[in-house]
Amino acid sequence: MSDLLVHLGLLLVISVAIVTLGVFFSYPDDEEAFKRLPRRLGVFLLGCATVVAIMTLIGYTTASLG
Amino acid sequence: MPLPRPRKQAGDPNVAALLTWFLPGGGHFYLGRMRTGLVGFVVVWGLYWLGLELSDGMGFEFLNKELRGPFAPALAPELGNLSGLLWQSRTYGFGLGFPRVFPESVHLGVMCTACSGILNIFLMIKAHADARHLEEPVLGQLPLSLACFFAWVVPGGGHYLQGRRKRGLIVFILLTGIFVLGTWLSEGSNLDRQRHFYYWGGQLMGGMPVIGLEQFFGQPVVSHEIKYAEAGLALASLAGLLNILAILDVYGWGERSALRAMSGDPLPASSSTIPEVKA
Repeated sequence: MSDLLVHLGLLLVISVAIVTLGVFFSYPDDEEAFKRLPRRLGVFLLGCATVVAIMTLIGYTTASLG
Repeated sequence: MPLPRPRKQAGDPNVAALLTWFLPGGGHFYLGRMRTGLVGFVVVWGLYWLGLELSDGMGFEFLNKELRGPFAPALAPELGNLSGLLWQSRTYGFGLGFPRVFPESVHLGVMCTACSGILNIFLMIKAHADARHLEEPVLGQLPLSLACFFAWVVPGGGHYLQGRRKRGLIVFILLTGIFVLGTWLSEGSNLDRQRHFYYWGGQLMGGMPVIGLEQFFGQPVVSHEIKYAEAGLALASLAGLLNILAILDVYGWGERSALRAMSGDPLPASSSTIPEVKA
């Protein structure tokens, strides 16, 4: 299996844990917490993707070693 | 059973918690609960003393030379027991300035000192709650500090004992699963404080699964490159750190529940509003 897929899989696993614990902490009611989970997970992954995009862009431009 | 009326605080909760941080049991002495204070002191400081004996006080010598500094040990779990940490720093510090052979029981010793720090945090929670009468048996609630302690011992255990079984099961599967996955990826190399001093501290917040696995598979000899060692280490450490969030969830729910019981409010503890209880 490619490294990229393994790392994406690990990111997904830890993202689910981080967001689940986050909604559990924010919402004492289980139903409310589960309702908020998908949207929060989406926002979290979108945020991660944005950071990756910015870092990649910087890696190829201002911080390029080439 | 008649509900108890809100009572005046036995003392300042913050002072009680701070005193316990400075000296295990100190907060309870301040609150006039001598027996609890004495038991707390003996258990928490006894564990620290045992750890120092087993490790010859060499725990901080695990730190690489470039990491050593006056505040370097302050990021370790021992910080929970401030007097223990200060005693160890002052008496043993970073050693004699030259490399020495660690005693065989050093890993068990550092586990004891670290667990002493973590136990004292739950004693601080107890002192804070006792000052506010939140752990009175008449409230019919699982004591706050005990719920938080079980949430550390087994991730999700505190939720389970509070009756939130579904949530507890999810927390257990997520956190223990990620810790085991991380340990598998790093082939057990994460289970070694000497190798990963700070990551190990985060990981230890995962409780008994971490302690148990380290006793069986800890400190492995690494003779080859482990491809996902760093990813595994990060996952295992994150699982422990996320358990702090789970412990805080248990604390928040327990506190709301106890305050509601004190004020006679029939609303379930899952409601997010915390009632005011006048002293």
